[in-house]
Amino acid sequence: MTTLSSSPAAASMRKVNKYYGTFHALRDVDLDIPPGKVTCLIGPSGSGKSTLLRCLNFLEDYDSGEVRIDDQLIGYETPGGRRMSARRLREMRRDIGMVFQQFNLWPHMTALQNVAEGLERVRGFSRPEAEVRAREALAKVGLADKEANHPSRLSGGQQQRVAIARAIAMQPRIMLFDEPTSALDPELVGEVLGVMKQLASEGMTMVVVTHEMGFAAHVADRVVFMERGEIVAVGSPREVFHDAADPRLQSFLQGYRERNSLEF
Amino acid sequence: MFSFQTIFDNLPVLIGAARYTLLISVLGCAQGLLVGAVVCAGALSRRVWLRRAAALYVSFFRGVPLLIQLLVAFYLLPVIGINVPALVAAVLTVGLCAAAYLSEVLRGALNAIPRGQAEAAAAIGMAPRDLWLRILLPQALKIGLPAIINELILLVKASSLVTVVGIVEITRMSQSIASATYRPLEIYLAAAFLYLAINLVIAQAGRLLERRLAY
Repeated sequence: MTTLSSSPAAASMRKVNKYYGTFHALRDVDLDIPPGKVTCLIGPSGSGKSTLLRCLNFLEDYDSGEVRIDDQLIGYETPGGRRMSARRLREMRRDIGMVFQQFNLWPHMTALQNVAEGLERVRGFSRPEAEVRAREALAKVGLADKEANHPSRLSGGQQQRVAIARAIAMQPRIMLFDEPTSALDPELVGEVLGVMKQLASEGMTMVVVTHEMGFAAHVADRVVFMERGEIVAVGSPREVFHDAADPRLQSFLQGYRERNSLEF
Repeated sequence: MFSFQTIFDNLPVLIGAARYTLLISVLGCAQGLLVGAVVCAGALSRRVWLRRAAALYVSFFRGVPLLIQLLVAFYLLPVIGINVPALVAAVLTVGLCAAAYLSEVLRGALNAIPRGQAEAAAAIGMAPRDLWLRILLPQALKIGLPAIINELILLVKASSLVTVVGIVEITRMSQSIASATYRPLEIYLAAAFLYLAINLVIAQAGRLLERRLAY
C-alpha cells in the first residue's frame, strides 16, 4: 500500500520476532512509525498488538530483529548483541511516553504528584518547577481543578487523562497508547479520545492499540491490522476499512460490524 | 486483704522499668523493619542464592523461640569476642527476630501492589532507587501497617523474655517487688494493666496513623 511520509521514521521495526515459550507472538514484524502522525494498531485479541507496542519501549524484550526509536536501537547494544545498560534504557524511555489500559497511576499520590514525580525524579526539575509543568499538563487534559485529588477520587476517564498528563509532561518524542479506553465505562470513552485527538492535532507522534474503530477511522493517519503475530495490512484508514482485500482483515471487520450493528 | 496502697507505692518503680520494655520493643521493631526490608528484598531477588539466604534467615529466626535466641546471643557474643552490654544484645536479638516476621509482612504487602505501577515507573525511565523509595515502600508500609502494629504489640509482650539476660523491665521488676512485699497479686495486676495501657496506646496510634495514610 502507500507510504505516507518520506521523512525518517520516528520508530521502526525490522524483522522483529518475539516468543513466549513456544508461542510465536511476533513474526518478522516490519513497521515504520511516521513522525507527527497517528498510527493505530488493530486486530483480534492475542494478535500481538500490545506486544508490538510494548517492544517499542522495551517493556517487553524481543528475541530477534531491530527496534529503533529515532534511529537508535533500543534494548540491545547492537542488533542481536548484548542487552543495553539499564541506565541507557532509562534514558531512552524518558523520551517515550506510555499510557496503559489500567491507567497505572500511583494511588498514594495526588493527581499533581503523579504528574510531577517523573519531572522531578527523572527529568531533574526542582519541585516547584516540576509542579508548574505538571499543572500545565493537567490543564491540557482539562483537569486543572482536580490536581489535589487522589486517583481513588477520580473517575476512570479522569484517571486516564491524568495518566496522559503524566506522559506528556515528560515531553516525549513519541507516545504509546495500550488500549487506553478498554477499561472505561462507555460514557467515559469520549473524554479520553478527545484528549488524544487534541494531541494528534498538535502533531504528536502516536502509536495507539485500540478497539475503537471509529477513532482509528477518523483520527489515524495510518492503520495497521495484525493477526497471529503478523502485520497483515497497512494503509490509510480508507484503504484498510473500505478497500480491504485480505480475507482475514475482511472477516475481522465483518465481525466488528456485526457486533456493533444496532439490530435488536 | 487486697492492698491498693501497695500498687500506688510501687507504680513509679514499675513505670520506670517500663522504659526498658518500650526501649526494647520500639527499637526492636524499628530494627526489624530495616533488616526486614533487606531480607524481603532478598526474598524477591532474581538471584537464587539471595532468595535461599532470605528463606534460611526467616526459617531460623521464626523457628527458634526468642527465649533461646536471647540465651544463645548472650553466651555466644563473648565467645566470638564481641563484648556489648546485655541491653544492646537484647535489642539486636529482638530486632533480628522481628525482622523475620516483618520481612514476610512487607513481602505480602509488596505483592499486593499491582505490577502496572512498577511498569508505569519503568516507562518514564525511573531508576530502581526511586521506584522503591517513592512508589513501592510507601505503599507497602501502608498496606502492612495493621500487621506491623500487631508485631509491635507482640514485641511489647515478648520483651518480658529479656529478663533471662538480666535486664530489669516490667516483668522482672514486678517479680522482685512481689517477693519483697509478699503482695504478688497486687503487683502482677499492676504489671498487667501497665502492659495493657502501653498496647492500647500503640493500637490507638496505629489507628490514627492508618487514617492519616488513607487515600
